Amino acid sequence: MRPMVRLLAAVAAMATLGAANPEREFDLPTYTGAYQPQNVDERGMWMVDDESERLTRDSRLVIRDEALNNYVHSVLCRAVGNDRCGGVRIYILRVPVFNANMSPNGTMRVYSGLLLRMRNEAELASILGHEFAHFEMRHSLDEFRRKRSTSDLLAWTAVLGTLAATYGGGSTQSYGDFRISVYGALFRFSRDQEREADILGFSYMAEAKYRPSAASEVWRSAMNEADATSTGRALRGQRYDKTAFFATHPTNLERADYLSALANRVPGGEYEGRNAYQAALAPWLDQFLEDQIKLNDFAGTEYLITRLGAEEWTAPLLLARAELYRLRANPRDLPNAVEFYRQALTLNPDLPTAYRGMGLSLMRMDRKSEATPSLSRYLELKPDALDADMIRSLVAPQ
Amino acid sequence: MLKSLLKPVLLISAAAALTAPAALSANDLIKSGETVAVAKSTLSITPPRDWNKLSARPGKKAETWTLDGEQLNDISFYSDIAPGEPLLRERSKKRDPLPKLRSNSLLTDVPEFLEGTYRAHFGIAVFSLGASKPTKFLNEPAIQFTYEYVTPDELTRRGEAIAVLRSGKLFMITYDAPKLHFFERNIEDYRAVVASAKIA
Repeated sequence: MRPMVRLLAAVAAMATLGAANPEREFDLPTYTGAYQPQNVDERGMWMVDDESERLTRDSRLVIRDEALNNYVHSVLCRAVGNDRCGGVRIYILRVPVFNANMSPNGTMRVYSGLLLRMRNEAELASILGHEFAHFEMRHSLDEFRRKRSTSDLLAWTAVLGTLAATYGGGSTQSYGDFRISVYGALFRFSRDQEREADILGFSYMAEAKYRPSAASEVWRSAMNEADATSTGRALRGQRYDKTAFFATHPTNLERADYLSALANRVPGGEYEGRNAYQAALAPWLDQFLEDQIKLNDFAGTEYLITRLGAEEWTAPLLLARAELYRLRANPRDLPNAVEFYRQALTLNPDLPTAYRGMGLSLMRMDRKSEATPSLSRYLELKPDALDADMIRSLVAPQ
Repeated sequence: MLKSLLKPVLLISAAAALTAPAALSANDLIKSGETVAVAKSTLSITPPRDWNKLSARPGKKAETWTLDGEQLNDISFYSDIAPGEPLLRERSKKRDPLPKLRSNSLLTDVPEFLEGTYRAHFGIAVFSLGASKPTKFLNEPAIQFTYEYVTPDELTRRGEAIAVLRSGKLFMITYDAPKLHFFERNIEDYRAVVASAKIA
Protein backbone atom coordinates (compact mmCIF):
# COMPACT_ATOMS: atom_id res chain seq x y z
CA MET A 1 0.00 0.00 0.00
CA ARG A 2 2.57 2.53 1.12
CA PRO A 3 5.01 1.99 -1.78
CA MET A 4 2.06 2.67 -4.03
CA VAL A 5 1.44 6.00 -2.33
CA ARG A 6 5.13 6.82 -2.54
CA LEU A 7 5.16 5.98 -6.18
CA LEU A 8 2.17 8.19 -6.84
CA ALA A 9 3.72 10.98 -4.82
CA ALA A 10 6.90 10.66 -6.80
CA VAL A 11 4.95 10.73 -10.02
CA ALA A 12 3.10 13.80 -8.83
CA ALA A 13 6.37 15.48 -7.86
CA MET A 14 7.83 14.72 -11.26
CA ALA A 15 4.75 16.14 -12.86
CA THR A 16 5.38 19.51 -11.22
CA LEU A 17 8.95 19.60 -12.29
CA GLY A 18 8.67 18.56 -15.87
CA ALA A 19 4.97 18.20 -16.51
CA ALA A 20 5.88 14.91 -18.17
CA ASN A 21 2.30 13.96 -18.87
CA PRO A 22 0.16 17.08 -18.68
CA GLU A 23 -3.22 15.39 -19.22
CA ARG A 24 -2.73 13.02 -16.29
CA GLU A 25 -1.13 15.57 -13.99
CA PHE A 26 -4.18 16.10 -11.82
CA ASP A 27 -5.68 12.60 -11.93
CA LEU A 28 -6.68 11.36 -8.51
CA PRO A 29 -4.89 8.31 -7.12
CA THR A 30 -7.05 5.36 -6.04
CA TYR A 31 -8.08 5.46 -2.41
CA THR A 32 -8.46 2.71 0.16
CA GLY A 33 -10.67 3.55 3.11
CA ALA A 34 -10.67 2.16 6.68
CA TYR A 35 -6.90 2.17 6.84
CA GLN A 36 -5.35 0.71 9.99
CA PRO A 37 -1.92 1.56 11.39
CA GLN A 38 0.70 -0.84 10.09
CA ASN A 39 3.73 -0.81 12.36
CA VAL A 40 5.03 0.28 15.72
CA ASP A 41 5.63 3.92 14.79
CA GLU A 42 2.25 4.32 13.23
CA ARG A 43 0.42 2.50 16.02
CA GLY A 44 2.13 4.73 18.57
CA MET A 45 1.13 7.83 16.70
CA TRP A 46 -2.44 6.66 16.40
CA MET A 47 -2.63 5.92 20.11
CA VAL A 48 -1.59 9.48 20.95
CA ASP A 49 -3.89 10.76 18.27
CA ASP A 50 -6.90 8.79 19.51
CA GLU A 51 -6.42 10.22 22.98
CA SER A 52 -6.08 13.69 21.54
CA GLU A 53 -9.28 13.21 19.56
CA ARG A 54 -11.13 12.06 22.68
CA LEU A 55 -10.10 15.29 24.45
CA THR A 56 -11.08 17.35 21.44
CA ARG A 57 -14.46 15.66 21.22
CA ASP A 58 -15.25 16.56 24.84
CA SER A 59 -13.85 20.07 24.58
CA ARG A 60 -16.05 23.01 25.43
CA LEU A 61 -14.59 24.84 22.48
CA VAL A 62 -16.25 22.51 19.99
CA ILE A 63 -19.14 24.10 18.12
CA ARG A 64 -21.89 21.51 18.11
CA ASP A 65 -24.28 23.26 15.75
CA GLU A 66 -25.47 20.43 13.53
CA ALA A 67 -26.22 22.58 10.49
CA LEU A 68 -22.78 24.17 10.43
CA ASN A 69 -21.06 20.82 10.98
CA ASN A 70 -23.06 19.18 8.22
CA TYR A 71 -22.24 21.99 5.87
CA VAL A 72 -18.47 21.88 6.48
CA HIS A 73 -18.57 18.11 6.12
CA SER A 74 -20.48 18.43 2.85
CA VAL A 75 -17.85 20.82 1.52
CA LEU A 76 -15.13 18.31 2.36
CA CYS A 77 -17.16 15.56 0.67
CA ARG A 78 -17.71 17.66 -2.41
CA ALA A 79 -14.01 18.56 -2.51
CA VAL A 80 -12.42 15.14 -1.99
CA GLY A 81 -15.28 12.88 -3.04
CA ASN A 82 -17.74 10.79 -1.07
CA ASP A 83 -15.57 7.69 -1.00
CA ARG A 84 -12.82 9.64 0.77
CA CYS A 85 -14.72 11.86 3.18
CA GLY A 86 -16.87 9.19 4.83
CA GLY A 87 -14.59 8.27 7.74
CA VAL A 88 -13.46 11.82 8.56
CA ARG A 89 -14.58 13.37 11.85
CA ILE A 90 -14.63 17.15 11.70
CA TYR A 91 -14.48 19.21 14.87
CA ILE A 92 -15.15 22.92 14.52
CA LEU A 93 -13.35 24.68 17.37
CA ARG A 94 -14.28 28.15 18.56
CA VAL A 95 -10.79 29.58 18.44
CA PRO A 96 -10.30 32.88 16.60
CA VAL A 97 -7.17 31.75 14.82
CA PHE A 98 -6.64 30.95 11.14
CA ASN A 99 -5.97 27.23 11.29
CA ALA A 100 -7.10 23.78 10.26
CA ASN A 101 -5.40 20.43 10.38
CA MET A 102 -5.98 16.77 9.91
CA SER A 103 -4.31 14.12 12.01
CA PRO A 104 -3.31 10.56 11.06
CA ASN A 105 -6.38 8.80 12.49
CA GLY A 106 -8.74 10.90 10.37
CA THR A 107 -9.60 13.72 12.77
CA MET A 108 -9.99 17.09 11.13
CA ARG A 109 -9.96 20.23 13.25
CA VAL A 110 -11.29 23.41 11.72
CA TYR A 111 -10.93 26.62 13.70
CA SER A 112 -13.64 29.25 13.70
CA GLY A 113 -11.02 31.82 12.69
CA LEU A 114 -10.57 29.92 9.43
CA LEU A 115 -14.30 29.90 8.68
CA LEU A 116 -14.44 33.64 9.31
CA ARG A 117 -11.71 34.31 6.76
CA MET A 118 -13.13 32.30 3.89
CA ARG A 119 -15.22 34.23 1.40
CA ASN A 120 -16.75 31.27 -0.40
CA GLU A 121 -16.96 27.53 -0.57
CA ALA A 122 -14.13 27.23 -3.06
CA GLU A 123 -11.69 28.88 -0.63
CA LEU A 124 -12.79 26.59 2.19
CA ALA A 125 -12.60 23.56 -0.11
CA SER A 126 -9.03 24.46 -1.04
CA ILE A 127 -7.91 24.42 2.60
CA LEU A 128 -9.85 21.29 3.55
CA GLY A 129 -8.59 19.56 0.42
CA HIS A 130 -5.01 20.53 1.17
CA GLU A 131 -5.22 19.17 4.71
CA PHE A 132 -6.88 16.02 3.46
CA ALA A 133 -4.06 15.57 0.97
CA HIS A 134 -1.49 15.55 3.80
CA PHE A 135 -3.64 12.91 5.47
CA GLU A 136 -4.07 10.78 2.37
CA MET A 137 -0.34 10.78 1.76
CA ARG A 138 0.36 10.08 5.44
CA HIS A 139 2.83 12.92 5.59
CA SER A 140 2.84 13.25 9.34
CA LEU A 141 4.05 9.66 9.65
CA ASP A 142 6.90 10.24 7.22
CA GLU A 143 7.82 13.40 9.06
CA PHE A 144 7.61 11.67 12.44
CA ARG A 145 9.87 8.88 11.18
CA ARG A 146 12.34 11.29 9.70
CA LYS A 147 12.57 13.18 12.96
CA ARG A 148 12.75 10.00 14.96
CA SER A 149 15.62 8.62 12.95
CA THR A 150 17.58 11.83 13.32
CA SER A 151 16.78 12.37 16.96
CA ASP A 152 14.47 10.33 19.15
CA LEU A 153 14.56 13.00 21.78
CA LEU A 154 13.30 15.60 19.38
CA ALA A 155 10.43 13.41 18.29
CA TRP A 156 9.33 12.67 21.81
CA THR A 157 9.63 16.29 22.79
CA ALA A 158 7.24 16.98 19.97
CA VAL A 159 4.81 14.30 21.13
CA LEU A 160 4.95 15.37 24.76
CA GLY A 161 4.64 19.00 23.77
CA THR A 162 1.47 18.21 21.89
CA LEU A 163 0.08 16.29 24.83
CA ALA A 164 0.88 19.06 27.26
CA ALA A 165 -0.88 21.53 25.04
CA THR A 166 -3.88 19.26 24.69
CA TYR A 167 -4.19 18.77 28.41
CA GLY A 168 -4.08 22.51 28.87
CA GLY A 169 -0.87 24.16 29.94
CA GLY A 170 -2.15 26.51 32.61
CA SER A 171 -4.10 29.67 32.25
CA THR A 172 -1.26 31.93 31.25
CA GLN A 173 -1.24 30.52 27.74
CA SER A 174 -1.66 33.17 25.10
CA TYR A 175 -2.73 32.84 21.53
CA GLY A 176 0.92 33.23 20.72
CA ASP A 177 1.65 29.91 22.40
CA PHE A 178 -1.57 28.47 21.10
CA ARG A 179 -0.54 29.06 17.54
CA ILE A 180 2.62 27.12 17.91
CA SER A 181 1.69 24.40 20.32
CA VAL A 182 -1.85 23.22 19.83
CA TYR A 183 -1.78 20.04 17.82
CA GLY A 184 1.01 21.68 15.90
CA ALA A 185 4.06 19.66 16.77
CA LEU A 186 3.09 16.54 14.88
CA PHE A 187 1.91 18.34 11.81
CA ARG A 188 4.87 20.25 10.56
CA PHE A 189 5.54 19.48 6.96
CA SER A 190 8.52 19.78 4.70
CA ARG A 191 8.50 21.83 1.56
CA ASP A 192 8.31 18.74 -0.66
CA GLN A 193 5.35 17.44 1.29
CA GLU A 194 3.63 20.79 0.93
CA ARG A 195 4.15 20.65 -2.79
CA GLU A 196 2.71 17.14 -2.96
CA ALA A 197 -0.29 18.20 -0.89
CA ASP A 198 -0.78 21.25 -3.09
CA ILE A 199 -0.85 19.11 -6.23
CA LEU A 200 -3.21 16.53 -4.76
CA GLY A 201 -5.31 19.39 -3.34
CA PHE A 202 -5.62 20.85 -6.82
CA SER A 203 -6.61 17.46 -8.17
CA TYR A 204 -9.53 17.41 -5.73
CA MET A 205 -10.50 20.95 -6.73
CA ALA A 206 -10.40 19.99 -10.40
CA GLU A 207 -12.47 16.87 -9.86
CA ALA A 208 -15.04 18.84 -7.85
CA LYS A 209 -15.19 21.68 -10.39
CA TYR A 210 -14.25 24.37 -7.87
CA ARG A 211 -12.53 27.49 -9.13
CA PRO A 212 -8.86 26.56 -8.60
CA SER A 213 -7.46 30.07 -8.19
CA ALA A 214 -9.31 30.29 -4.85
CA ALA A 215 -6.37 28.42 -3.29
CA SER A 216 -3.73 31.01 -4.12
CA GLU A 217 -6.07 33.82 -3.06
CA VAL A 218 -6.39 32.28 0.40
CA TRP A 219 -2.62 32.04 0.81
CA ARG A 220 -2.07 35.56 -0.38
CA SER A 221 -4.67 37.07 1.89
CA ALA A 222 -3.33 35.16 4.89
CA MET A 223 0.11 36.59 4.21
CA ASN A 224 -1.28 40.08 3.73
CA GLU A 225 -3.08 39.82 7.03
CA ALA A 226 0.10 38.73 8.81
CA ASP A 227 1.84 41.71 7.18
CA ALA A 228 -0.90 44.06 8.36
CA THR A 229 -0.64 42.77 11.92
CA SER A 230 3.14 43.26 11.90
CA THR A 231 2.91 46.73 10.43
CA GLY A 232 0.17 47.68 12.86
CA ARG A 233 2.36 46.64 15.77
CA ALA A 234 5.37 48.35 14.25
CA LEU A 235 7.27 45.09 14.05
CA ARG A 236 10.17 44.76 11.69
CA GLY A 237 10.36 41.79 9.37
CA GLN A 238 7.49 39.59 8.33
CA ARG A 239 7.24 36.34 10.21
CA TYR A 240 4.48 34.35 8.58
CA ASP A 241 4.98 31.50 11.02
CA LYS A 242 3.27 33.68 13.63
CA THR A 243 0.07 32.83 11.84
CA ALA A 244 -1.14 29.46 13.09
CA PHE A 245 -1.56 27.91 9.70
CA PHE A 246 1.93 28.89 8.61
CA ALA A 247 3.51 27.59 11.79
CA THR A 248 2.90 24.11 10.47
CA HIS A 249 3.02 24.93 6.79
CA PRO A 250 6.24 26.51 5.62
CA THR A 251 5.39 29.14 3.11
CA ASN A 252 6.66 32.15 1.28
CA LEU A 253 5.70 34.30 -1.63
CA GLU A 254 7.20 31.81 -4.04
CA ARG A 255 4.58 29.35 -2.94
CA ALA A 256 1.69 31.71 -3.59
CA ASP A 257 3.21 32.19 -7.03
CA TYR A 258 3.50 28.54 -7.89
CA LEU A 259 -0.02 28.02 -6.58
CA SER A 260 -1.21 30.61 -9.09
CA ALA A 261 0.76 28.85 -11.81
CA LEU A 262 -0.75 25.49 -10.85
CA ALA A 263 -4.21 27.04 -10.73
CA ASN A 264 -3.80 28.16 -14.33
CA ARG A 265 -2.91 24.62 -15.43
CA VAL A 266 -5.64 22.79 -13.54
CA PRO A 267 -8.65 21.94 -15.67
CA GLY A 268 -10.98 23.05 -12.87
CA GLY A 269 -14.46 24.50 -12.99
CA GLU A 270 -15.84 27.86 -12.02
CA TYR A 271 -17.90 26.92 -8.99
CA GLU A 272 -17.41 29.33 -6.09
CA GLY A 273 -20.44 28.73 -3.91
CA ARG A 274 -20.42 32.19 -2.36
CA ASN A 275 -24.11 32.28 -1.49
CA ALA A 276 -24.17 28.77 -0.08
CA TYR A 277 -21.15 29.56 2.08
CA GLN A 278 -22.50 32.81 3.43
CA ALA A 279 -25.88 31.28 4.18
CA ALA A 280 -24.23 28.49 6.16
CA LEU A 281 -22.02 30.88 8.10
CA ALA A 282 -24.69 33.54 8.71
CA PRO A 283 -25.90 32.26 12.12
CA TRP A 284 -22.32 32.35 13.42
CA LEU A 285 -20.90 35.37 11.64
CA ASP A 286 -21.59 37.90 14.42
CA GLN A 287 -20.04 35.62 17.03
CA PHE A 288 -16.92 34.89 14.98
CA LEU A 289 -16.48 38.58 14.17
CA GLU A 290 -16.82 39.48 17.84
CA ASP A 291 -14.20 36.90 18.82
CA GLN A 292 -11.84 38.35 16.23
CA ILE A 293 -12.39 42.00 17.16
CA LYS A 294 -11.58 41.36 20.80
CA LEU A 295 -8.16 39.91 20.00
CA ASN A 296 -6.75 43.42 20.19
CA ASP A 297 -5.15 43.13 16.75
CA PHE A 298 -6.48 46.26 15.10
CA ALA A 299 -4.54 46.24 11.83
CA GLY A 300 -4.93 42.52 11.09
CA THR A 301 -8.63 42.64 11.87
CA GLU A 302 -9.14 45.76 9.78
CA TYR A 303 -7.48 43.99 6.84
CA LEU A 304 -9.64 40.93 7.33
CA ILE A 305 -12.91 42.86 7.57
CA THR A 306 -12.04 45.04 4.59
CA ARG A 307 -11.25 41.95 2.53
CA LEU A 308 -14.59 40.41 3.39
CA GLY A 309 -16.30 43.74 2.73
CA ALA A 310 -14.62 44.21 -0.64
CA GLU A 311 -17.28 42.05 -2.25
CA GLU A 312 -20.18 43.58 -0.37
CA TRP A 313 -20.43 45.65 2.79
CA THR A 314 -23.13 43.94 4.79
CA ALA A 315 -24.61 45.19 8.06
CA PRO A 316 -22.76 42.61 10.23
CA LEU A 317 -19.42 43.58 8.64
CA LEU A 318 -20.02 47.30 9.10
CA LEU A 319 -21.10 46.72 12.67
CA ALA A 320 -17.98 44.68 13.36
CA ARG A 321 -15.79 47.38 11.85
CA ALA A 322 -17.49 50.02 13.97
CA GLU A 323 -16.95 47.97 17.12
CA LEU A 324 -13.30 47.48 16.20
CA TYR A 325 -12.80 51.24 15.96
CA ARG A 326 -14.79 51.95 19.11
CA LEU A 327 -12.79 49.43 21.12
CA ARG A 328 -9.46 50.89 20.07
CA ALA A 329 -10.91 54.31 20.83
CA ASN A 330 -8.12 56.58 19.73
CA PRO A 331 -9.68 60.04 19.40
CA ARG A 332 -9.57 59.67 15.62
CA ASP A 333 -11.24 56.25 15.78
CA LEU A 334 -14.48 57.39 17.38
CA PRO A 335 -15.84 59.52 14.49
CA ASN A 336 -15.06 56.61 12.15
CA ALA A 337 -16.88 54.22 14.46
CA VAL A 338 -19.94 56.48 14.50
CA GLU A 339 -19.93 56.61 10.71
CA PHE A 340 -19.73 52.80 10.38
CA TYR A 341 -22.56 52.37 12.90
CA ARG A 342 -24.63 54.80 10.85
CA GLN A 343 -23.94 52.83 7.64
CA ALA A 344 -24.81 49.55 9.35
CA LEU A 345 -28.08 51.02 10.60
CA THR A 346 -28.94 52.27 7.12
CA LEU A 347 -28.74 48.70 5.89
CA ASN A 348 -30.49 47.22 8.92
CA PRO A 349 -32.28 49.62 11.30
CA ASP A 350 -32.96 46.78 13.73
CA LEU A 351 -29.51 46.46 15.29
CA PRO A 352 -29.59 47.28 19.02
CA THR A 353 -25.81 46.81 19.34
CA ALA A 354 -25.23 49.47 16.72
CA TYR A 355 -27.34 52.03 18.62
CA ARG A 356 -25.48 51.14 21.80
CA GLY A 357 -22.06 51.47 20.19
CA MET A 358 -22.95 54.71 18.42
CA GLY A 359 -24.29 56.20 21.64
CA LEU A 360 -21.25 55.18 23.67
CA SER A 361 -18.86 56.51 21.01
CA LEU A 362 -20.67 59.87 20.94
CA MET A 363 -20.65 59.94 24.71
CA ARG A 364 -16.88 59.45 24.71
CA MET A 365 -16.60 62.33 22.24
CA ASP A 366 -18.48 64.52 24.75
CA ARG A 367 -21.50 64.77 22.45
CA LYS A 368 -24.03 63.75 25.06
CA SER A 369 -27.08 65.34 23.45
CA GLU A 370 -26.51 63.30 20.29
CA ALA A 371 -25.64 60.19 22.28
CA THR A 372 -28.81 60.14 24.34
CA PRO A 373 -31.33 59.38 21.54
CA SER A 374 -29.12 56.59 20.31
CA LEU A 375 -28.80 54.97 23.73
CA SER A 376 -32.53 55.43 24.36
CA ARG A 377 -33.25 53.63 21.11
CA TYR A 378 -31.01 50.78 22.29
CA LEU A 379 -33.00 50.54 25.51
CA GLU A 380 -36.28 50.58 23.58
CA LEU A 381 -35.16 47.76 21.33
CA LYS A 382 -33.59 45.76 24.15
CA PRO A 383 -35.15 46.75 27.45
CA ASP A 384 -33.84 43.59 29.15
CA ALA A 385 -30.26 44.00 27.98
CA LEU A 386 -27.72 42.82 30.54
CA ASP A 387 -26.24 46.31 30.74
CA ALA A 388 -29.60 48.13 30.57
CA ASP A 389 -29.30 49.58 34.09
CA MET A 390 -25.83 50.89 33.37
CA ILE A 391 -26.86 52.48 30.07
CA ARG A 392 -29.93 53.98 31.74
CA SER A 393 -27.65 55.66 34.25
CA LEU A 394 -25.78 57.31 31.37
CA VAL A 395 -28.96 58.56 29.74
CA ALA A 396 -30.53 59.87 32.94
CA PRO A 397 -29.78 63.50 33.75
CA GLN A 398 -27.07 63.65 36.39
CA MET B 1 41.18 20.86 36.51
CA LEU B 2 40.27 22.69 39.66
CA LYS B 3 39.04 25.60 37.64
CA SER B 4 36.65 23.50 35.62
CA LEU B 5 35.27 21.91 38.78
CA LEU B 6 34.88 25.22 40.50
CA LYS B 7 32.98 26.87 37.72
CA PRO B 8 29.69 25.02 38.10
CA VAL B 9 29.85 25.43 41.87
CA LEU B 10 30.21 29.16 41.49
CA LEU B 11 27.40 29.26 39.00
CA ILE B 12 25.10 27.33 41.28
CA SER B 13 25.85 29.49 44.29
CA ALA B 14 25.35 32.59 42.18
CA ALA B 15 21.99 31.27 41.03
CA ALA B 16 21.03 30.41 44.60
CA ALA B 17 21.94 33.91 45.72
CA LEU B 18 19.72 35.36 43.03
CA THR B 19 16.70 33.20 43.75
CA ALA B 20 16.93 33.16 47.54
CA PRO B 21 15.30 36.54 48.27
CA ALA B 22 12.37 35.69 46.01
CA ALA B 23 11.89 32.39 47.83
CA LEU B 24 11.99 34.08 51.22
CA SER B 25 9.48 36.75 50.29
CA ALA B 26 7.01 34.24 48.90
CA ASN B 27 3.35 34.49 49.70
CA ASP B 28 2.22 36.52 52.71
CA LEU B 29 -0.52 35.94 55.19
CA ILE B 30 -3.05 38.75 55.38
CA LYS B 31 -4.53 38.54 58.88
CA SER B 32 -8.19 39.16 59.51
CA GLY B 33 -9.07 42.52 61.04
CA GLU B 34 -5.78 44.16 60.06
CA THR B 35 -5.92 47.04 57.62
CA VAL B 36 -3.53 46.70 54.69
CA ALA B 37 -2.76 48.90 51.72
CA VAL B 38 -3.13 46.97 48.47
CA ALA B 39 -1.58 47.16 45.02
CA LYS B 40 0.99 49.74 46.10
CA SER B 41 -1.63 52.40 46.53
CA THR B 42 -3.75 54.30 49.02
CA LEU B 43 -6.52 51.73 48.60
CA SER B 44 -6.83 49.84 51.88
CA ILE B 45 -8.67 46.71 52.91
CA THR B 46 -9.62 45.31 56.30
CA PRO B 47 -10.48 41.68 55.58
CA PRO B 48 -12.83 39.90 57.98
CA ARG B 49 -10.94 36.62 57.51
CA ASP B 50 -7.41 35.49 56.70
CA TRP B 51 -6.22 35.62 53.10
CA ASN B 52 -3.00 34.70 51.30
CA LYS B 53 -1.31 37.36 49.26
CA LEU B 54 0.51 36.01 46.22
CA SER B 55 4.00 37.38 45.73
CA ALA B 56 3.59 37.28 41.95
CA ARG B 57 1.79 40.43 40.88
CA PRO B 58 -0.30 40.20 37.72
CA GLY B 59 0.54 43.79 36.89
CA LYS B 60 2.56 46.73 38.06
CA LYS B 61 -0.37 48.21 39.95
CA ALA B 62 -2.09 44.98 40.83
CA GLU B 63 -2.12 42.38 43.56
CA THR B 64 -3.80 39.01 43.99
CA TRP B 65 -5.13 37.30 47.10
CA THR B 66 -6.41 33.76 47.36
CA LEU B 67 -7.89 31.46 49.99
CA ASP B 68 -7.11 27.98 48.67
CA GLY B 69 -4.56 28.61 45.97
CA GLU B 70 -3.98 30.48 42.78
CA GLN B 71 -6.89 30.34 40.34
CA LEU B 72 -9.20 28.65 42.84
CA ASN B 73 -10.60 31.75 44.48
CA ASP B 74 -8.66 34.84 43.48
CA ILE B 75 -9.32 38.40 44.43
CA SER B 76 -7.34 40.85 42.34
CA PHE B 77 -6.92 44.50 43.18
CA TYR B 78 -6.09 47.04 40.50
CA SER B 79 -5.48 50.55 41.58
CA ASP B 80 -4.59 53.83 40.01
CA ILE B 81 -4.52 52.47 36.45
CA ALA B 82 -3.94 55.61 34.39
CA PRO B 83 -4.99 56.32 30.79
CA GLY B 84 -2.59 54.62 28.39
CA GLU B 85 -1.85 51.79 30.80
CA PRO B 86 -2.89 48.15 30.45
CA LEU B 87 -4.57 46.25 33.27
CA LEU B 88 -2.01 43.45 33.45
CA ARG B 89 1.69 43.24 32.73
CA GLU B 90 2.12 42.81 28.99
CA ARG B 91 3.93 39.66 27.95
CA SER B 92 5.35 41.52 24.99
CA LYS B 93 4.52 45.16 24.40
CA LYS B 94 4.97 44.66 20.68
CA ARG B 95 3.86 41.15 19.87
CA ASP B 96 1.05 40.71 22.39
CA PRO B 97 -0.13 44.21 23.27
CA LEU B 98 -3.03 44.50 25.71
CA PRO B 99 -5.90 46.99 25.53
CA LYS B 100 -5.14 50.31 27.22
CA LEU B 101 -7.32 52.46 29.38
CA ARG B 102 -8.29 55.71 27.62
CA SER B 103 -8.71 59.16 29.06
CA ASN B 104 -12.25 59.20 27.66
CA SER B 105 -13.14 55.73 28.99
CA LEU B 106 -16.52 55.52 30.67
CA LEU B 107 -17.61 53.17 33.40
CA THR B 108 -19.57 51.28 30.73
CA ASP B 109 -16.29 50.60 28.91
CA VAL B 110 -14.70 48.85 31.88
CA PRO B 111 -16.30 45.41 31.32
CA GLU B 112 -15.10 45.41 27.68
CA PHE B 113 -11.66 46.56 28.84
CA LEU B 114 -11.46 43.60 31.19
CA GLU B 115 -12.82 41.22 28.55
CA GLY B 116 -10.31 42.35 25.94
CA THR B 117 -7.49 42.03 28.45
CA TYR B 118 -8.49 38.52 29.54
CA ARG B 119 -9.02 37.30 26.00
CA ALA B 120 -5.68 38.55 24.78
CA HIS B 121 -3.64 37.74 27.87
CA PHE B 122 -4.99 34.33 28.83
CA GLY B 123 -5.80 33.09 25.32
CA ILE B 124 -9.50 32.79 25.99
CA ALA B 125 -11.82 32.03 23.11
CA VAL B 126 -15.11 31.80 25.00
CA PHE B 127 -15.89 34.80 27.16
CA SER B 128 -19.26 36.36 27.89
CA LEU B 129 -20.14 39.41 29.91
CA GLY B 130 -23.04 39.08 32.30
CA ALA B 131 -25.20 41.70 33.92
CA SER B 132 -23.80 45.08 34.87
CA LYS B 133 -25.40 47.64 37.12
CA PRO B 134 -24.60 50.99 38.67
CA THR B 135 -23.51 50.98 42.29
CA LYS B 136 -21.35 52.93 44.75
CA PHE B 137 -17.71 52.12 45.46
CA LEU B 138 -15.23 54.24 47.40
CA ASN B 139 -18.09 56.74 47.77
CA GLU B 140 -18.40 57.30 44.07
CA PRO B 141 -20.66 56.10 41.25
CA ALA B 142 -19.29 52.75 40.16
CA ILE B 143 -20.07 49.72 38.03
CA GLN B 144 -20.59 46.19 39.22
CA PHE B 145 -20.54 43.41 36.64
CA THR B 146 -20.21 39.68 36.17
CA TYR B 147 -18.63 37.52 33.51
CA GLU B 148 -17.95 33.92 32.59
CA TYR B 149 -15.21 32.33 30.52
CA VAL B 150 -13.51 29.08 29.60
CA THR B 151 -9.78 28.92 30.27
CA PRO B 152 -7.41 26.85 28.11
CA ASP B 153 -7.54 24.15 30.81
CA GLU B 154 -11.19 23.75 29.77
CA LEU B 155 -12.61 24.94 33.09
CA THR B 156 -15.51 27.34 33.12
CA ARG B 157 -14.75 30.22 35.45
CA ARG B 158 -16.95 32.99 36.71
CA GLY B 159 -16.05 36.43 37.78
CA GLU B 160 -17.53 39.41 39.53
CA ALA B 161 -15.99 42.84 39.58
CA ILE B 162 -16.53 46.31 40.92
CA ALA B 163 -14.85 49.33 39.40
CA VAL B 164 -14.69 53.06 39.72
CA LEU B 165 -12.99 55.80 37.71
CA ARG B 166 -11.52 58.50 39.95
CA SER B 167 -10.37 61.44 37.84
CA GLY B 168 -9.88 59.10 34.91
CA LYS B 169 -7.94 56.48 36.88
CA LEU B 170 -9.30 53.00 37.30
CA PHE B 171 -9.72 51.25 40.66
CA MET B 172 -11.12 47.76 40.43
CA ILE B 173 -11.50 44.62 42.53
CA THR B 174 -12.26 41.34 40.78
CA TYR B 175 -13.14 37.88 41.98
CA ASP B 176 -12.37 34.92 39.72
CA ALA B 177 -13.15 31.31 40.56
CA PRO B 178 -14.16 28.07 38.86
CA LYS B 179 -17.91 27.99 38.34
CA LEU B 180 -17.97 24.55 39.89
CA HIS B 181 -18.01 24.80 43.70
CA PHE B 182 -15.54 27.62 44.34
CA PHE B 183 -17.35 30.63 42.91
CA GLU B 184 -20.43 30.26 45.09
CA ARG B 185 -18.46 29.14 48.11
CA ASN B 186 -16.39 32.30 48.45
CA ILE B 187 -18.35 35.03 46.70
CA GLU B 188 -19.47 36.45 50.05
CA ASP B 189 -15.87 36.56 51.26
CA TYR B 190 -15.07 38.67 48.21
CA ARG B 191 -18.03 40.97 48.82
CA ALA B 192 -16.90 41.43 52.43
CA VAL B 193 -13.47 42.46 51.20
CA VAL B 194 -15.06 44.96 48.79
CA ALA B 195 -17.23 46.35 51.58
CA SER B 196 -14.14 47.01 53.70
CA ALA B 197 -12.34 48.97 50.96
CA LYS B 198 -11.34 52.52 51.77
CA ILE B 199 -9.24 55.06 49.98
CA ALA B 200 -7.16 57.81 51.46
